[in-house]
Amino acid sequence: MEIRPILSALRHNMTGALLIATQVALTLAIISNSASVIRDRLAVAQRDSGIDAESRIITQRPILFSQIDLANLIQTDLDALRAIPGVESVTITNQVPMGRSGWSSTFATERVPTAPSQSAGLYFDGGRLLETFGLKIVEGRGFRDDEIVNIDPKVQNPPPNGVLLTRRLAEALFPGQSQFVGRIFYQGNSPDAEEMRIVGVIERFTTPWAQTGPDNEYAVVFPARYLNPFNHYVVRAAPGAEAEVRKAMEAALEKNEPGRVSVGQYSVQEMRDRRYRGERALAWLLVSVTVFLLGVTASGIVGMASLWVNLRRKQIGVRRALGATRGDIVRYFLTENLLITSAGIAIGVLAAWGLNGVLMSELSVPRLPLDYLLVGVLLMLLLGVIAVLGPALRAAQLSPALATRSV
Amino acid sequence: MLQMDGVQKIYRTDLVQTYALRSLSLRVAEGEFVAVTGPSGSGKTTFLNIAGLLETFEAGSYRLDGEDVSKLSDHARSRLRNVKIGFIFQSFNLIPDLNVYDNVDVPLRYRGMAGSERKRRITEALERVGLASRHQHLPSQLSGGQQQRVAIARALAGSPRILLADEPTGNLDSLMAREVMNMLEEINTQGTTIVMVTHDPELARRVHRNIHVMDGQVSDLDQRLAA
Amino acid sequence: MLGYYLQLGFRNLRRSPVLTALIILTLAVGVAASMSTLTVLYMMSGDPIPQKSARLLTLKLDNYPLDFNDTEEKLPSILTWTDVRNLREDGKGLRRTGLYGISGIVYPNKEGVKNFFADGVAVDADFFAMMDAPFVAGGAWTAAEDRSEARVAVIAKPLAEKLFGKESAIGRNLRMDSEEFRVVGVLDEWKPTPKFYRMDSGSSAGSDADDIFIPLSAALAAHRDVSGNTSCFSNADPGFEGLMRSECIWLRYWVELGSASERAEYRDYLSAYVQRQKQLGRLPRPDKSGLYNVREWLQEIEVVDDDTRLQTWLAFGFLSVCLVNTIGLLLAKFTARTAEIGVRRALGATRAQIFLQYLSEAAALGLVGSIIGVAGAFGMLHLLAKQSPDLEQYARMDPTMLATTVVLSVLAAVIAGLLPTLRATQVVPALQLKSQ
Ligand SMILES: Nc1ncnc2c1ncn2[C@@H]1O[C@H](COP(=O)(O)OP(=O)(O)OP(=O)(O)O)[C@@H](O)[C@H]1O
Ligand SMILES: [Mg+2]
Repeated sequence: MEIRPILSALRHNMTGALLIATQVALTLAIISNSASVIRDRLAVAQRDSGIDAESRIITQRPILFSQIDLANLIQTDLDALRAIPGVESVTITNQVPMGRSGWSSTFATERVPTAPSQSAGLYFDGGRLLETFGLKIVEGRGFRDDEIVNIDPKVQNPPPNGVLLTRRLAEALFPGQSQFVGRIFYQGNSPDAEEMRIVGVIERFTTPWAQTGPDNEYAVVFPARYLNPFNHYVVRAAPGAEAEVRKAMEAALEKNEPGRVSVGQYSVQEMRDRRYRGERALAWLLVSVTVFLLGVTASGIVGMASLWVNLRRKQIGVRRALGATRGDIVRYFLTENLLITSAGIAIGVLAAWGLNGVLMSELSVPRLPLDYLLVGVLLMLLLGVIAVLGPALRAAQLSPALATRSV
Repeated sequence: MLQMDGVQKIYRTDLVQTYALRSLSLRVAEGEFVAVTGPSGSGKTTFLNIAGLLETFEAGSYRLDGEDVSKLSDHARSRLRNVKIGFIFQSFNLIPDLNVYDNVDVPLRYRGMAGSERKRRITEALERVGLASRHQHLPSQLSGGQQQRVAIARALAGSPRILLADEPTGNLDSLMAREVMNMLEEINTQGTTIVMVTHDPELARRVHRNIHVMDGQVSDLDQRLAA
Repeated sequence: MLGYYLQLGFRNLRRSPVLTALIILTLAVGVAASMSTLTVLYMMSGDPIPQKSARLLTLKLDNYPLDFNDTEEKLPSILTWTDVRNLREDGKGLRRTGLYGISGIVYPNKEGVKNFFADGVAVDADFFAMMDAPFVAGGAWTAAEDRSEARVAVIAKPLAEKLFGKESAIGRNLRMDSEEFRVVGVLDEWKPTPKFYRMDSGSSAGSDADDIFIPLSAALAAHRDVSGNTSCFSNADPGFEGLMRSECIWLRYWVELGSASERAEYRDYLSAYVQRQKQLGRLPRPDKSGLYNVREWLQEIEVVDDDTRLQTWLAFGFLSVCLVNTIGLLLAKFTARTAEIGVRRALGATRAQIFLQYLSEAAALGLVGSIIGVAGAFGMLHLLAKQSPDLEQYARMDPTMLATTVVLSVLAAVIAGLLPTLRATQVVPALQLKSQ
């Protein structure tokens, strides 16, 4: 409606208008960037690990102190675990996905120093690893039981002849290829690097660190039991049997070597929760900052609009006397607020881009997607309208008689 | 033009009820120039507010231009004010943030008039009150008399059927007051009905008819005279 | 006079209570958010050993193979045993220690206490003096015990109480895995924040205090496994002996200089050392070795991670919105009292007096807001600590930070009050507010 007269009236309330616009601009800049960080972090925390039923995969890491015959002790443990009712599959491995510590190694396709190499998580499959974690093979096959060897760290061992790797790692090592089984690659790129042959490709399997980059899916699996005291036993519980299996697992491991100490018993789901605690914490912090900011900005608009209504009581009465309907009064304040908010939004859009630029170069923050900015803009417009509605409706209730009565 | 019968207005506050109008009955014919006088607190402004549809009333009937307005919605009353009624106030009541031109523009905007039509009317109204050259000024840059003339221009621009004025000269010196009065008389001769509340006996003498309000009623003397 | 104004200010808080509450709430929320994140940042970037951080140095060496195609920008922060052994033997500096993380199962010789897993470090005797570690009983082992690979241990107070109760731990035996250690010292509460001496970049590991300290020589002799990162760039022989002979990296090295000015000299020594190793056929790549004091080291391993910085940035963005909001609300509060100001001016108040009075009112608001804000900051820190154990060591407010918080928030309120107050002083004297 009457934009020009509103603008000229605004010129006389410049300070307040500027304050509100500044606030809207800052809020828009912060919340749109926050929203994009929130999405980024929550998306990271929800990535597929390749494991089909994370809450049913339970790991326990007892420290084995019999140094004498580890191979035998491990076999006894595995047998005891397999005998637990409700256990579908059992394995032993050196590390667990999202467990936050473990082994990595570099792999290359040539034994020349200049050959590009990829760093990948190194898993040992002590038998039935794929079955226990519920991993999918997309090419080739998993290991047969008779392929699993014992590796004693105290003596030199022959390298594994066939290994598994994840599809992502295969694609990174052999760019542009789609068939990987039978191909040869090396552990490292030095002249004496161990040679290994691919027997199977795993669709997806995340590393213990679950890095934020694509390398979180770079993993190689060796068919071996590594004979040191720090391995993880992993069992797959039948649906609904998790609680009993957990208890029985604890008891079975205790029974095989009384006085044993375990470094915790976790489901993969719990590992995931611990791994991504930081991401989730940041996301929730940002959510609360966003909510508070919107609240603060709304309160600012309500406060300023109420002040203006109070200062203009007489004027509102006069307008009403001159024929303004209640709707006209509400519309006046809405329009005025929309003008201020829009000015703030215009600055805010620039500020959001600017802030995003700084955050991208200084900190690990993703580029601000356009749709987030758009949603932010709409949100601020909506916030402005909702916040000003209360004072505007109160203004509309003022009596036209104020024109003749108020001082 | 304006017909009130037994209009009653009560102001209720937490403690007391004030009978601002007891049973007010009066008629104002088309083209008349009427002055409303009476002691302070007698209900003159209340009467004017009701006549101008600024306030509602408790009992009685009021027909404006032949139309019963007691049952009208707030929206309809606003429209009616906008089209049929012009107001002039004792304290001018210009909008301080708007310049002269925009002040006169206010009621026309609410009528949703086309831009060119508004412009024509505003210029005409300002010329009529002799302030065409001042249209860029803010109210604070004008004298009291000039402000009241802007207020008159604002009332005139919408070509109302009836003009209601509450002590339009109350804040002006006698010279200015006479000037404003001349202007009102001229407007009246061009056909607009005017009802003016005033304390000034000199001004009251210059109009067609005096209505004396006492204690929320038109005093008997006038009733008899009018009959 | 200021007292009178403050009194007026506090009394005026009760006027327009909704507006007052909003202002206080806005300030408090802004203060709580910004101060809690700032506290974490401050604690993270704090100096864990200010009295000697400039002369406590650690170092990085580049022992990648000549043809290594590294993609990392930074050298790893751990060293080979070969280098640590050489540096120790050269004996430069006032004190020195090698260091690596160990862990093991402790067998308490006590009814009702189960076997448990404990973390510790293998260090040299100098470690305790270098780090100013406080003892409640006993002391460090001797250099002679280092040389003889003695099975001795220094343990932390909580562990001593767990194992030996109220009795003295000194001279008692501690069984870890299959070895017995004689306790020679008990450390008092000692929690350098951050735990710089064994902290690694990108990992939050080691926020808990170490429980057990044993001689490095004894740990090596017993082939104690490394708890922490081990990286190899070429094949190592099998077993612990193989690891010790290899170019694998897994230890840290700290040296304390007599004064910070000896640093240049030490730098020269380090360059010379790299040259000597090159002649022996080691460290084939150009010398990129780095020497860092404690503060530089914390920078190098990026203790303050990006997320913490992001939080701090956002918290201050948040505070700035809160401040703008406070300015607006104060403006509303003061403008509503224009008439009163006009009357006060007419009754003889000078501009300066009006200025002081209204600024005092803003300060009073700031004081109340900051008290609530500080309480809020404590609450948020508590939440942060509960939320993530990694942050626990940082989520503590020390007196400096507390004072900063209070001062900053009152200052913020006063700054926010400046504009509305200046506006208030512009009101012209009048006994009555003229209509329009
Ligand atoms: N909003 C109100 N609430 C309560 N009482 C009111 C209100 N407005 C007016 N009154 C009372 O109604 C009565 C009539 O008031 P009104 O303003 O009509 O008098 P008036 O004749 O215009 O007086 P004056 O000549 O002094 O302007 C007075 O007693 C007044 O106190
Ligand atoms: Mg009156």
